[in-house]
Amino acid sequence: ESHIQYERVGADVTMKCGSMDWDAAVTWTANGTDIDESHLNGSYLILKNVDLTQSGQYSCYEGSSWHLKYQTYLRVGLPPKEPVLMCRSNSYPKGFYCSWHLPTPTYIPNSFNISVIHGTREMVCEKDTFPKNRCHIRYLQLFSTVKYKVTLTVTNALGKNFTTLTFDEFAIVKPDPPESVVAKPVPNNPRRLEVSWQNPSSWPDPESFPLKFFLRYRPLILDQWQHVELSDGTSHTITDAYAGKEYIIQVAAKDNDIGTWSDWSVAVHATPWTEEPKHLTTEAQVTETTSASTSSFMPPPTTKICDKGAVVGSGAVAVCWTAGLVLAAYGVLFI
Amino acid sequence: MAAADSPSAALRRRDLCSRGIRLAGKMRSDVVDLLDTYVERQGLDASASVAAVEGVPAAAAERWDEQTGTQRLLENLAAYRAFRTLLAQMLEEQREQLGDADTALGRALAAVLLQVSAFAYHLEELLRLESRGPPSEEGAGPPPLSHLTLFEKKLRGLGVLRELAQWAVRSARDLRQLSKPSPGSSSAPSPAQSP
Repeated sequence: ESHIQYERVGADVTMKCGSMDWDAAVTWTANGTDIDESHLNGSYLILKNVDLTQSGQYSCYEGSSWHLKYQTYLRVGLPPKEPVLMCRSNSYPKGFYCSWHLPTPTYIPNSFNISVIHGTREMVCEKDTFPKNRCHIRYLQLFSTVKYKVTLTVTNALGKNFTTLTFDEFAIVKPDPPESVVAKPVPNNPRRLEVSWQNPSSWPDPESFPLKFFLRYRPLILDQWQHVELSDGTSHTITDAYAGKEYIIQVAAKDNDIGTWSDWSVAVHATPWTEEPKHLTTEAQVTETTSASTSSFMPPPTTKICDKGAVVGSGAVAVCWTAGLVLAAYGVLFI
Repeated sequence: MAAADSPSAALRRRDLCSRGIRLAGKMRSDVVDLLDTYVERQGLDASASVAAVEGVPAAAAERWDEQTGTQRLLENLAAYRAFRTLLAQMLEEQREQLGDADTALGRALAAVLLQVSAFAYHLEELLRLESRGPPSEEGAGPPPLSHLTLFEKKLRGLGVLRELAQWAVRSARDLRQLSKPSPGSSSAPSPAQSP
């Protein structure tokens, strides 16, 4: 006959060899390894002050025949401590979820039972398949002043414990962070960054239950954040960025009227637009062009003709398109 | 309902809804502040549980997402008319307790009463736009409180203000639903998606 035996860490355990008499000759094994006779009291196996390493399969064999007379699986563990429970609505007004865990392991199987009471009504908390320590409750009422009372009881073979959470409908509303945060430089604007994001996909009805947002940003070289609160829209232009510095940007969300701020979104990085440095090759091409034969005059594609900025260096002459065409025409005539 | 569906009526509805949402937001903020003042001045515990108070309209709604626009307006109007009377009653009690002293609590109560009255009027305007018109006010006032002890009256006041704070949030939501484009004001908005 085989069964499971649960014992508390530090306990003294006595195992009987089934129906064998106390003075019968027996051999005990632990996970297939013979146990020294010093642990025996007659045919009883005595384990003092058990620890976790002594979990395993214990078998008792009749002395001469080696018939298996008894087998048990010893599981050494602990009774549960008070569980940690949290409840949150990231999908208001659809419902909320509660999740839990034990602060320290018990090393043996635990079962959890959760009850949700709203006023006099007991509500069903549908357990998630994954993760296993979570369940969902659908709101049956909205805008209620009656508190919710959630009690989680954890039980194992060595004991039980429980915790209770009481809260208002609004207090646990906390959206997930905004998604798809994107930050881009704004062309020709060295101090601007355009940031956009999306409502968290878990928020079911942003039109009826709009979110507001909190944006924070700082250059990587500084520790202090700048903050902006935005009551509508899912984009914002930062206008006071330090030119040329890489920024880190995050966004958080909150229901417009109730609850608390979400965690910060995934951080994005962006650097404001900077003007490209002048290229030396551009100057050389301008110089070559102006000294070449007029019959083969052709302005280089990178040179901006008639653009003051394209003219650098002494001796280079800016040539307008009109003049260039005239010269080309003369060149053709003289070939 | 032709008038209610005309473009100008739709624009007017959206405008009234937007203003109503702002009113509700301001009202809620002031009621939350009033709650803090009330709890402090009345010597109450902010976390005290208050059972459902007779005559106080409960903001709690089942199947809220399935309500029609007209239902929303009618329920809101009934609630704010009731709060108008309840707050006037609380103000009167306050004055009886403290004489003519113009206390901070009294002033805060009066300010919220004004906002509640304004909001009720706003709702009446929206109902007129629905070509329905607001219902006449019921004659019966709130139940008399002479049988209540002073402490019971204070707890009742706490219940009134808490429920009003919930209504202010609900009203903003109701008006947002109302301001959504829909085929007609009497048709139900689409229900919230099931999980």
